[in-house]
Order: sequence, then structure tokens, then C-alpha cells
Amino acid sequence: MRVRVDTQLCTGHALCHLQGPDVYVLNDLGFNETDPINVPEELWEQARRGALACPEGAIVIEEDRGDIS
Amino acid sequence: MDGSEIGGGGAKQPVIDFDHYRQRSLSESDRAWRDLRKECPVAWTEANGGHWVVSRYQEVASAFKDWEAFSSARVDPDVSSLSVGNLRIPPLYPEELDPPQWHPLRRILSELLSPGAVQRLQPRIAHWVTYAIDQVIESGRCDMTDDIACPIPAAVSLELLGFPQSDWERISNAFHGTGSFDRTTPEFAQALADVAWVGTRVREELLERLEHPRDDAMSFIVSHDVDGHQIALSDAEAVVLLVVGGGVDTTTSLTSSALLYLGRHPELRSRFLDDPAILDSGTEEFLRMYPPARTHARIAVRDIDLGGCHIAAGDRVLLSEVSACHDESAFPDADQFIVDRFPNRHVAFGLGIHRCPGSHLARAQFKEIMRQVVVRMPDYRLHQEQIVEYPNWSSIGGWARMPATFSPGRRLL
Repeated sequence: MRVRVDTQLCTGHALCHLQGPDVYVLNDLGFNETDPINVPEELWEQARRGALACPEGAIVIEEDRGDIS
Repeated sequence: MDGSEIGGGGAKQPVIDFDHYRQRSLSESDRAWRDLRKECPVAWTEANGGHWVVSRYQEVASAFKDWEAFSSARVDPDVSSLSVGNLRIPPLYPEELDPPQWHPLRRILSELLSPGAVQRLQPRIAHWVTYAIDQVIESGRCDMTDDIACPIPAAVSLELLGFPQSDWERISNAFHGTGSFDRTTPEFAQALADVAWVGTRVREELLERLEHPRDDAMSFIVSHDVDGHQIALSDAEAVVLLVVGGGVDTTTSLTSSALLYLGRHPELRSRFLDDPAILDSGTEEFLRMYPPARTHARIAVRDIDLGGCHIAAGDRVLLSEVSACHDESAFPDADQFIVDRFPNRHVAFGLGIHRCPGSHLARAQFKEIMRQVVVRMPDYRLHQEQIVEYPNWSSIGGWARMPATFSPGRRLL
């Protein structure tokens, strides 16, 4: 799984970090500055919840397989 | 308006008989928005000089995010662009600016109110919550609005800015009044006069800080560079006024709504006590159920289609955060308070470039109030028959009076 953050859409709500503190990196102003990364399996849940929490829809999750629950 | 017929058709339809200033109670307001959402998610009303009303999540969210089409910039120097109907208050920046002017002033608030800055304020937040509860804890009785919901956000924001304590109550009441009193009443006229007084006080304090900078937010704002020059005094005033206006009455509104809900649902208080982690999702759900800023206005700066309606350049547009937050198409069982609701992409803080820059501070204060209230006043009981709600739920809702009794406790400070 990879996460991609659209920094044009991020406005610094910082809710991704609350759900995925080990996945999402915030800068000093609270904006998501996560580099596109491969997320290890133990953090998939954090990554997904962080993306779902973003009210701007700024986080895209790219799944490796279609069969992940 | 010349521009309104440009771009084909020009007919403003559907037309509804709707004026959100007529919403005199929470239930009346919620019902009106529910009907509108169902029947006409985007519609034109002739009320308040004529404007569009947008009530469904999808359209509210897309309009908030599209600042290039839906501007919040001041047009008339004397009249707010953030509400419809000729509200004469001084400008609030950066909310009433579009890029590029918006950007440097927004940057000031982003620094001042960043998650890290709020974390550093946490001891002051905890102090003021403890202090407020201390004032009533020995007596076993209080008014949840006057003693808890009002003074804490006022103390936190106005101490951060650097206002002397003697000003706090009047400043907090001024903004409270413009949001909550009927526009035809003497109380509303008084609140407008008080907002003008706040403007004067802001200027006095800023001038003083130009001479003698202190370690406070007003000094930080007035000494800030904007495009290589020191910020204009009038711009600094408008930024301070936004922090005051956005800081004092909004968190008050959320807190009073939550304390009312908790007053009626003691089981949720126990849940917050047993499992403090649930407070995170609970806070988002309180924000969704009771968004303090219920509506915000915009002006279309170009022709644009929204929800199947043709909005013409120059048209005023009223976006309803509260209606979007209660939209069944975005939130299953939208009228139910679900403490662990997830996802919960509410729009209580707005979306896009103007999303509330004080959201981190608001959440931190709200959570601290909840934590301390459930620990120190776990058995509080509201006197239901004495509860008084704001006389108007158009822009800001809340509860004017909320008497409560509880088992007395000891002061901590």
C-alpha cells in the first residue's frame, strides 16, 4: 500500500495525524508533509483511517491488491 | 445587478420562501434545514436582498473548497461579507480576503495557532478550566453557560492575544451579542456598539505594542512582516478581530451544546470517564451535531453551476455548515449522536483555504473542559425548566442560560 497526499488540497486540519500518527507527518503548521511511501502492513489500518478522516479528501490510498479487507 | 444576467438564462430557480434569520430555536432551525435539504438543496430566496441557499453536504463542501468561484472577500468596507443581510461590523482578516492578499495574513494565524503552539498553550488552557470550575465547585451550583462555557474560551483567547483581564467579559459579550440577539432588538444594537468599542481597544493595544512589544499574540501580529514590509495597522486590527470573534463565542457555543447533551445523557459522562480516548471521536461528533458557525456567506465572482442551478457572477450565496453536517447522504443516521462515529468528515470548521485556523485551539479547549467537568462535576444535573436558548440560530447557536447543581467539591488552585 502507498499513500499519496495532495498538498494542494491539504489545509492543515491535522486529523490524519490523529488517526495515523505513525504514518502521517505534519509540518510545524500542521500540514501533511508525508512523502509518498510504501506503508508496512502493520500500519495499513492507520493509513486508511487517516485518509478517511481527511475532510478535504487530500489523501489517496493506493492498494497493492484488490483483496485487502 | 449588471452581471447577474450574464452567462445564459439568468433565471434564479427554484425560488423558495426562506429566511434563516427567522430560525428562533434549535428545533425550528434543524427542521427548516432538513426540509430544504430534502426539497431544494440549492435554491434562491428574495430574503435579505436576495441570495442562494446551499444546504446539501456535497454542494456546501464543493463551494467552500472553490474560493476562486465563491469569494469571501470584503466588498463594502462597512458590511460583513460573511453573512447576508447587511451586518455592519469591521473586517475580519484573513477570512475576508482572497489570495494573494489572504496568504501572508493566513500564515500569521497558521503559526500562532498551529498544533504545536496549541500544545504549548495546554497548561494555560488547563489552568483556566480549573480556575473556572474552582469558582463554583464549593457551592454545588453554577450556570454552565455563564460560569463554564463563556469565561474559559474568553480567558484563553484574550490572554493569548494580551488583553488586560478587565476587558475580557465585555469583549466576549460583544461578539456573543451580534451572533445571538435578534437584529431588531436594542440588545443587538448594543452588541454592535460594543464590537465597535472592541475595534477601538484593539487599535489602542496594537499602538501600545508597536512602542513596547510584549510576549503576546498582539505583539506577534503587529510586528509581523507582510511581503517584506511590516503589516499595515488596519490589517493587524482585522486579524486580531478575527481571532477575538472566532475565538470567544464559537467554542462557547459548542461547549454549551455539549454540556446540555451530557446533562441529558449521564451515561455518556461515565463513558468519557472510563475511556477518555473516546473523547477524540466524541468531540468530532459534537462538532458535527452542533457546529457553532451554522452558516457562512460567499459571493460568486464568476458564473458557475452548483447542484444543477446556475449561479451568476455577483450573486450572494449562503452556505449552511449545519445543514451539511446533518445531511443523511453524507452521515448515516445523521440526527443521531454517535460518540464513535467514523469517518466523520463534518464541515463544522469549514473547508478549503478559509477553514477555521483556530480549530486546534478550539478542540484542545473543548476536550479539556469535558475532561475536567466529568471528573469534578460527574453528577451535575441541569434545571431543564430554566434552560434558555439563544433567540436566534441563524449564524451562531447556543444556550444563554443553563443552571445546574452538583455535589460540591474542593478548589484545586
